[in-house]
Amino acid sequence: MTVRNKTGKPIPAWVWGVATVIAIGVVVLLASKDWRRDPPQSFRYEVAQYERVDPSRVLFEEREPITPDVPGLTALATSPEGRIYAAGTNAVVVYGLDGREIARHAINGSPTCLAVTADGEILLGMTDHVEVLHADGKPKARWPSLGERAHLTSIAANGEDIYAADAGNRVVVRFDREGNVVQHIGKADASKGIPGFVVPSPYFDVTFDNTGTFWAVNPGRHGLESYRSSGALISAWYRPSIEAEGFSGCCNPSHVAFRSDGSLVTTEKGLARVKLYSVDQKLVGFVAQPATFHDSPMGAFSCKLETPLVDLAVDSKDRVLVLDANKNAIRIFEEKASE
Amino acid sequence: MSVKGQIGRRDFIRAAAALGIGGGIWKTAAREPGSMVWQLDPQQCVQCGRCATHCVLNPSAVKCVHSYPICGYCDLCGGYLQPGAKKRDTGAENELCPVSAITRTFIEPPFFQYTIDEDLCVGCAKCVKGCGLFGNGSLYLQIKQDLCVHCNECAIARACPAEAFQRIPAEQAYLLKTRPEGGPAQT
Ligand code: SF4
Ligand code: SF4
Ligand code: SF4
Repeated sequence: MTVRNKTGKPIPAWVWGVATVIAIGVVVLLASKDWRRDPPQSFRYEVAQYERVDPSRVLFEEREPITPDVPGLTALATSPEGRIYAAGTNAVVVYGLDGREIARHAINGSPTCLAVTADGEILLGMTDHVEVLHADGKPKARWPSLGERAHLTSIAANGEDIYAADAGNRVVVRFDREGNVVQHIGKADASKGIPGFVVPSPYFDVTFDNTGTFWAVNPGRHGLESYRSSGALISAWYRPSIEAEGFSGCCNPSHVAFRSDGSLVTTEKGLARVKLYSVDQKLVGFVAQPATFHDSPMGAFSCKLETPLVDLAVDSKDRVLVLDANKNAIRIFEEKASE
Repeated sequence: MSVKGQIGRRDFIRAAAALGIGGGIWKTAAREPGSMVWQLDPQQCVQCGRCATHCVLNPSAVKCVHSYPICGYCDLCGGYLQPGAKKRDTGAENELCPVSAITRTFIEPPFFQYTIDEDLCVGCAKCVKGCGLFGNGSLYLQIKQDLCVHCNECAIARACPAEAFQRIPAEQAYLLKTRPEGGPAQT
């Protein structure tokens, strides 16, 4: 049968051709587009509001970083006379405050933490034990293993006392300079008011403040506790919150360091931010906001990234040093000059 | 929840979906040796949410699973609580999961256990994102092979922005997360 238009004339073949092409085009278009809806708002995890920081609250500005020629940087430390130590795979590198390399020491393995004594000895936490180097980098001692479960995440030295945070056993171990275990600190003991460390992941930091008081992070409780060398608890403060004033997630603050005026610098994993607290534990402002550590804004929230902030230190000029695993660099932040 | 052996509503939907899919295979039992199944690699997943919306099944064959050895049993759980939750309790306004599929159970101070109700879970990955960002990453997604109808071409795989889907042998049909070597043990 011939199809005709209203005037009774047959519809020309070219019209059929065009109509067929259009019909095929529509079918292809419909088939190639994914018509399924994208996940609704209720399925999205929204944290952008916590990632944004008012620039007026950022009190530090970044300086030229140090980029050590050592793969897999894992640990950072400073010494009172202005040296900066960074450890990574098979090496410890020493820098001056100007970022120039002073020395390089070969080691075996990758330290999980690092500290320097007042006389320049280098203490390396090697997962389950401590190794000591002389100031010139020559090996001095290897202290006994703390056991199969031990996982050293932080080490700090003050005079004759060495304190190491053992995340595996959830305890702080106090050593003497010869590596003898003198004291276990922080085991839960209700009779002494010690709550016990909650360490859900290997983020468990220890340090000394400007007066020489020892502080340990209690990461699962989102705060810090100070102890006497006898193991007696002096004080504690906890601030669990995702808001800027607090610490969120399972294990924060991930790292802490005190400045010479007693103010406290903290890093966090999850929401990668660096903050400054006053001596009375009030948030003063930000050293660096999450965007500082990620090229894209959502990079801060990619679960494929481990936290970029692997260690923290304050140098003798009170600058804040952050070991950035993404850039394999020591990022340096200096307080802005007050107006 | 449907009782094993009975054909429940979900089984019916699954069967109907299987019939509607060219090449779909209605099979919940173990696959034949040597055959391949679809699975997603939790290390690749970026928690886009499409596992909930792009599976041919509704609810999705993708579910949240929990690795207890990795879990920190945290009170302030990033996978359970809304980011800005005012309280750390089981109040619905504090829950992150859009379908309340996660149960929080007190163990001892300050530890809580989190369990997933697979029947409720829609595989949206919201909790996975929260746990990965703020916790230990113990919550993650997997295609449940007893639910999956084994499409020739997985509809989610086509939509996945992270290329997380792959074909793996049916004898090892899951890509499970375990505690990393050298990480501290949980008790
Ligand atoms: S579609 Fe891919 S990226 Fe998105 S939730 Fe599923 S596995 Fe993860
Ligand atoms: S948040 Fe989404 S993936 Fe997690 S349990 Fe609830 S429905 Fe499942
Ligand atoms: S193959 Fe993919 S789309 Fe098909 S049922 Fe399994 S998970 Fe869903």
